[in-house]
Amino acid sequence: MRAFLRIARLIAGVFQELSDQRAYRAYLEWHGLAHSPEQWRRFSDRRWAAQVRRGRCC
Amino acid sequence: MRFAGRILWAAVSLAAAFAMGVIAHSRGEPVNSLWLVIAAACTYLVGYRFYAAFIAARAMALDDRRATPAERLRDGHDFEPTHKWIVFGHHFAAIAGPGPLVGPTLAAQFGYLPGALWIVVGAVLGGAVQDFVVLFCSLRRDGKSLGQMAREEIGKVGGFISLVTVLLIMIILLAVIGLVVVNALKDSPWGVFTIASTMPIALIMGVYLRYLRPGKVLECSALGFVLLMGGIFGGQAVAHSAAIAPWFTYGGLTLAVALIVYGYLSSALPVWLLLAPRGYLSTFVKLGVIVLLAVGILFLRPELRLPPFTRFVDGTGPIFAGKIFPFAFITIACGAVSGFHSLISSGTTPKMLMKERHAVSVGYGSMLLESFVAIMALIAAASLQPGVYFAVNSPAAAVGANPQAAAATIAGWGFPVTADQMAGLARDAGERTLFYRTGGAPSLALGMAEIFSGASWFARPGFIAFWYHFAIMFEALFILTTLDSGTRVGRFMLQDLLKQVWPKFAETGWKPGMLLTSAGIVGAWGYFLYQGVLDPNGGVNSLWPLFGISNQLLAAIALCVSTTVLVKKHGARYMWITCGPLLWLVTVCFAAGWQKIFSEAPSVGFLAQAAALEAGPHTAITAELVFNARLDAAITGVFLVLVSAILIDSVRIWIRVLAGRPKPATTETPFVLSTFAEGA
Repeated sequence: MRAFLRIARLIAGVFQELSDQRAYRAYLEWHGLAHSPEQWRRFSDRRWAAQVRRGRCC
Repeated sequence: MRFAGRILWAAVSLAAAFAMGVIAHSRGEPVNSLWLVIAAACTYLVGYRFYAAFIAARAMALDDRRATPAERLRDGHDFEPTHKWIVFGHHFAAIAGPGPLVGPTLAAQFGYLPGALWIVVGAVLGGAVQDFVVLFCSLRRDGKSLGQMAREEIGKVGGFISLVTVLLIMIILLAVIGLVVVNALKDSPWGVFTIASTMPIALIMGVYLRYLRPGKVLECSALGFVLLMGGIFGGQAVAHSAAIAPWFTYGGLTLAVALIVYGYLSSALPVWLLLAPRGYLSTFVKLGVIVLLAVGILFLRPELRLPPFTRFVDGTGPIFAGKIFPFAFITIACGAVSGFHSLISSGTTPKMLMKERHAVSVGYGSMLLESFVAIMALIAAASLQPGVYFAVNSPAAAVGANPQAAAATIAGWGFPVTADQMAGLARDAGERTLFYRTGGAPSLALGMAEIFSGASWFARPGFIAFWYHFAIMFEALFILTTLDSGTRVGRFMLQDLLKQVWPKFAETGWKPGMLLTSAGIVGAWGYFLYQGVLDPNGGVNSLWPLFGISNQLLAAIALCVSTTVLVKKHGARYMWITCGPLLWLVTVCFAAGWQKIFSEAPSVGFLAQAAALEAGPHTAITAELVFNARLDAAITGVFLVLVSAILIDSVRIWIRVLAGRPKPATTETPFVLSTFAEGA
């Protein structure tokens, strides 16, 4: 049961990572901000601006 | 290592050898795909446990007490220490694209064995090593990119050549994956409707995420997925409607033009509106389908119906021309060795690693997983009946212009198939025809559909059609994501190059510059796509080898940088780790490049093809075809010259370093004790 919970937590972690939720939380914590639509838009714009400058693999 | 451990690893090694023996020695009767899964998985485990550990301990001396860039340069944005398996997921999602799915499907024309061996051995000794060493180099250099490292380790010429090579590869890559989509959607109203529906879905998701529920990516992706499923069922209704189906039925040229226009618009639209939501959705769908395929193969264990080797190892293959050496090794790039991965290993990933030793699982391990995806794609293709596989993947020019002639030609090769059988299969898949569907995507979709619908709870009427279009949607979604983000990346690269001539191009917000460079990139890949559609051999014959050569030459550049770092660090002692794969790739790429330019066979050599076209009967497009063949020859030549230059530059540096004149200064960042280290 414990192993199952660990795997579930890991999968949830990967999902949060892939959906940028973890990165967004880290961004808010680092800058001492609270979530707001405006903050999300700022974070997302900055993140994707960097993302689209890097090559994606084939 | 304890005794029990030794016994266990000996058993794993024996299992790998035995399974490899079974698939290599089977002749005449189908082999169960489980043997291939066991051979691959056990070889990966041995490679990971021993070879990766050896490289990590000896050549890299990874040290968890040393602070990583994520810790030292933490900024709450790009640099952020992250849990090992989460970085693994991120890295894997970034390296796994359509390449490992399409390449093995095409290379199956040689039989399943050459591709399987190259995927497994190439990944363990080459691809994973490249990804791992480049990640290590970047990790010890503040997360620098491959281009920056090439400039610092090899010189300004190396840096410039990397930039130009990446740009050229990007152009060829976008054209070839565009061609895969075009060939999959030709005369397919169901497919066109489904793929067209992904665009409004992405726009809805973009607005949802920006204004309605900002930050709720998972929720938004779930909504997008439900709408995508709606798109697949909607496509079925469209295909069955005599009135609406013609609106969504197009030939290759129209689809190519639509894709080019789409590429331009998507590169000019705000990122949040199309690219970001599609990026999230495609990542989740990609991982979901890969897991589904793995589960399907493990539970259903389909038989490999293609033989281990086909008669086409002699270079007369209908899908692409050229002998098994070197063409099997450039057809499968992603899945075995992919230069593109070095851009990811020196991009986001080194900025997220919490500890140095995490680079083993992330750098080496995730490439092994991608290699396993390639094995699954190979299984899906090889589980099709050989006659069906060749009927779907061969162009009309190679097999005959009507279904009866095509079926007779393929049956004449020893792979029985009939026009009626193909018509029945097309009906099951909800398509008008499955002949001449070159590009790999349709046959892969068919293989996946057969595997999924093989499960008794899925085996209901209409399920092959659903799974076929689900797989086509999945591949196209994947490819369109790469296409629009790649166009943007290419635009930035072009701006980087053009700013040397006119500094105004450095301003990314300058609209005329943005529109011009977007047009330049879209025009470049669009031209190659148009050329592929025009090609009577289906385009794959000319474009896929060009892409394979260029991708592996980028790997050669990455391995040059890696070898230079190892030589500067240890002298000649460990240079074989990267020099071995480098030597192999240079041999393969130069042999393939040389043949693609100078082979006297018109089906292989671009120049011979141009000469044959000029000598043959002239049609309205002959002049264009001749020009395209010569252009392809020139592009191949440019790749070879560029990589020769960087290779010569690298060897010059290695000789200087090994001769001890002068002792090179280290470019590694100094040691800083990590706060994550035990006892720190």
